[in-house]
Amino acid sequence: MTASVIARLSEDVPHRTIILLGIVLAALLIAPWVVNDYLLTVLIVALYSAYTGQAWNIMMGFAGQLSLGNALYAGVGAYVAAFLFTKFGIGPWIGFLACAPAAAACGAIIGFLAFRFGVAGVYFAILTIAFAEFARIGFDHLAIVNASAGLFLPVQQYAHNDLWRLRGNPMMFYYVILVATVLAFILCRLLLRSRIGYFWLAIREDEQAARAAGIDTFRYKMYAVMISAAVTSFAGVFYAFFYNNLFPEQVFNIGRSIEMVLGPVIGGVGTLFGPILGAFVLNGLAETLNSAMSAAGLDLPGAKEVFYGLCLLLVILALPEGVWPPLARRLGIDKGMR
Amino acid sequence: MHHQSRSKSARLTRRVFTTTAGAAAVLAGAAPFSVLRAQGGPLKVGVLLPRSGFEAGIGQDCQRGVDIAPPILKSLGLPELTIMNGDTESNVDAAREHAEKLISDGAQLLVGAFDSGQTTAIAQVAEQKGIPLIINIAAAPQITEQGYKFVFRNFPTAGMILSDAFVNQKEVFGIAGATPKTVVFMHVNDTFGTAMSKGIGVLMPKFNMPYKIVEEIAYDPAARDLSVEVTKAKATNADALLMVSRLNDALLITRELIKQRWTPQAILSMGPGWYEDQYFKTLGKMADGPISFVPWFDPNKKLAQTLEAAFVKAYPGSNLNTNQVFTFEALLVAADAYKRAGSTDPKALADAIRATNITDNVSVGPGIRFNAKGQNDKVKDSAIQNRGGKTVTLAPKEAANAKPEWPLKPYQDRA
Repeated sequence: MTASVIARLSEDVPHRTIILLGIVLAALLIAPWVVNDYLLTVLIVALYSAYTGQAWNIMMGFAGQLSLGNALYAGVGAYVAAFLFTKFGIGPWIGFLACAPAAAACGAIIGFLAFRFGVAGVYFAILTIAFAEFARIGFDHLAIVNASAGLFLPVQQYAHNDLWRLRGNPMMFYYVILVATVLAFILCRLLLRSRIGYFWLAIREDEQAARAAGIDTFRYKMYAVMISAAVTSFAGVFYAFFYNNLFPEQVFNIGRSIEMVLGPVIGGVGTLFGPILGAFVLNGLAETLNSAMSAAGLDLPGAKEVFYGLCLLLVILALPEGVWPPLARRLGIDKGMR
Repeated sequence: MHHQSRSKSARLTRRVFTTTAGAAAVLAGAAPFSVLRAQGGPLKVGVLLPRSGFEAGIGQDCQRGVDIAPPILKSLGLPELTIMNGDTESNVDAAREHAEKLISDGAQLLVGAFDSGQTTAIAQVAEQKGIPLIINIAAAPQITEQGYKFVFRNFPTAGMILSDAFVNQKEVFGIAGATPKTVVFMHVNDTFGTAMSKGIGVLMPKFNMPYKIVEEIAYDPAARDLSVEVTKAKATNADALLMVSRLNDALLITRELIKQRWTPQAILSMGPGWYEDQYFKTLGKMADGPISFVPWFDPNKKLAQTLEAAFVKAYPGSNLNTNQVFTFEALLVAADAYKRAGSTDPKALADAIRATNITDNVSVGPGIRFNAKGQNDKVKDSAIQNRGGKTVTLAPKEAANAKPEWPLKPYQDRA
């Protein structure tokens, strides 16, 4: 079983790619021991963006369904896990077993409404935004999770890391989100190499042709939305336990959904490495910009947002496929591993 | 010759090695003394505010309190502070990142961050690193209920703000000799408005308020027209308007009141909007009259007068408000604690902050003192009334500098 999974994972992958992956993974494993706490936090945020970007990529990059409301699934995951923890003492891993189906159910409702009634393209995107907004307003009035006053998780000084309850220092959270990102990468690779992945690509390229070829497009688009939602919900669990406070205004904010989209757009929509590269490029360059400005004695609030805008503009104009595809071609590792 | 000397300098002789090693040893030995000297210098204070993103306006308003602080603190005989600015970008991720960055850049104390979510994220970093955090503004009660040892808040919690508002309303009614029997409660339906609406519903019966809410009208804070809402409110013929608003809707409602020729006895606001500079600038004489119940400064305190004078000088045409008052006071606490601690050691600073007892301060109440949880539970709200492009304080009695003008002067008589 494991051997067959590994075989499927490494199928058609050049040795050079495997070596490169190994180097990147080794660097990420060592990173917390050599960087300071500030850079560790930057890495956590970058990995979080990579993870959520990968989850969004399932829907848009593989199946061609543009979602601009993925904050809904992260928010539902965050609230369900935090609620179970604060009210019943149920840890996040068990809680995730409730979060994933809850988020998938939300995705299923949106998907059913959209795909059953032919809502597609930008109209589908608007529908996803609308549902995220419904959730924000709804949670603002939901007394059971303390409504707009915010849901707080108890915080203590931890003498040791408690992985089972996700209570501990930033280094523990770093490894948790690193493992999650690696697992999301593996899941996406397996999905892409499976029957479902080929069906998604067919739907993305030409839905009518896919339907004509006998693919049940409704069913496979539903799978894409539900899997993407379930995967995204773990990001919410992580968010809740890392930041220890949830406000509907913050969690379901459309800005959160847009942040999830930026990484894959910069890195390369529909590629496996794109969301990861995009997340690191954006966060890395933004923090470099911040550091350079503070070293130069410049205090320009909002420069990061302007920088994000410029990056998007540059990528759209100069690298419409994203940063990863041309980089992969240049490195000679574009075969078998997009 | 040149070549010769270069090759000589490049060669590592025993003498060169000994000299270098000796110099290194001297430097290494002196290093601890350098650290001690640094401790005698200014305290490095990392100020975290949402200066970009959707809360940018408020964050920049708070920043003004930071910018005018240094000469005032100096005049009080307090030690110098080195301010290190950080922008939380109005989100929790950036708040946490920038807190970490400021600490890694050498910040010895943190101040911030206006928003409860962002402040909670920063508080965790501060607690983990053992760096004191002085909260300027953030009202979520849970922040000081987590058992933190390095987190201090000189700002009332949401519950304190509401309770004080009811107490001050009764005081104003008493001084004015007039009590509204009925009110229309109008509020924005955003997070803040909804939370306030719920809080009012829970707390009002406990305070046995003399008026009855005859109608509750919620509306979108981004509304472009509130004529229907004001017509509905007018139709109730209530004595007063009870408001929870933002600036945009406060302006729209006032314009509708003028247009529909309805001047209630009073406008009682439980939030921002009605006392803001833009409200005064836009409406001129029509801005006079509304009473707001907010955390404010005590105009009778000497330091408040000094701060207000410095603020007006630095920003002509603007009025000192909550954002600058509490941001300034956070720096006041930091400088005072540093003076008493005599050290930048975070634990010594935290102990000094815990022992704070500042009576010569700016905000309303007996002064700045923190309870065991790190909360200043003695800080009070004020009732302020708009008058001639400024605000006057009506209550509490010890902070009042004017009597209420009651009822509102009819809008049609203000030409």
